[in-house]
Amino acid sequence: MSDEAELTALVRTAQRGDGLAMARLIDVLAPAVGRWCGPIALQDAPDATQEALIAVFRGLKGLSDPAALFGWARSIAVREAVRVARRAARQRTVELAELPAPGDPLLAVDIADVLERLTPEHRAVLMLRELDGLDERTIAGLLDVPAGTVKSRLSRARRSFRKEWAR
Amino acid sequence: MTWPKADLDAVRRLHVLAAAVPGAVTAEALLPAPFDQVWAVAADLEGELPQYLPDVRSLRLTRVAGEQLEADARGYAGLRAHFDIVLRPGWCVMRSRFLLGAMAAVAEGDHTRFAFLTGAQLPGQRLVGPALGVLGRWAAPRVVARVGERVARRG
Repeated sequence: MSDEAELTALVRTAQRGDGLAMARLIDVLAPAVGRWCGPIALQDAPDATQEALIAVFRGLKGLSDPAALFGWARSIAVREAVRVARRAARQRTVELAELPAPGDPLLAVDIADVLERLTPEHRAVLMLRELDGLDERTIAGLLDVPAGTVKSRLSRARRSFRKEWAR
Repeated sequence: MTWPKADLDAVRRLHVLAAAVPGAVTAEALLPAPFDQVWAVAADLEGELPQYLPDVRSLRLTRVAGEQLEADARGYAGLRAHFDIVLRPGWCVMRSRFLLGAMAAVAEGDHTRFAFLTGAQLPGQRLVGPALGVLGRWAAPRVVARVGERVARRG
């Protein structure tokens, strides 16, 4: 049986409520969801990954085409990661004020440091373009924003990176 | 360039599973013992499980193939059940025709976070799930406490 056929069978079994199949599907999805949530939610990525997977499993019965699993899960993961990151940022406003200011030499040229200075929405666009290789139109559809917004967010995110690496 | 990525630890996985299974109930505790000691008790399905799971009188493994196991369990009321099991360090899921159980453990310093899940695997589980949830809410914390007691006893 091909990987795709196996995945389809696993999704169908999990959709029927089989707990063992659900556990196997968590094993299959967790690495990808963690990869999507990491660059967006940063230190809150474990929370985002957990909440994204809960949203995936709550909606699993509504997934009519198991072959679309990963694309569907990605859109949920990105949405949840942005939501969790925004919620955490609101709770951390005091701590954030203590972070080094932009341009502070204390900030290493670490990707996480640069990502930290972007909004969760900018991080989502950057991750989808640079890590997953999606085009701007697909990203716009996935995030439900105009293509022009994707272009401007991408441009700003890339400027931040260039500035850091040029130092 | 390395992008940050998140790992979903076993206890978080158990909470995802709990959200997916109607009527599933979880209990969790930070046990004052290292991971290896806690998991040695939790993963001893033939020896220890009947000690910490109140309804199980005995459990016998009938097949072991890597992390895929099968077992026959007997309850005190004479009920028998066949279980398909996935078992690896820090993670165990057991499913029979009617029941789902799971355990997860994660090291936290020299302590261990241990979590237990119980749920239904029945046709129409969305209807009976809430009723079983009441039983689970009674049983799940007791299982976690019993595992803690067994770990303390074995030292």
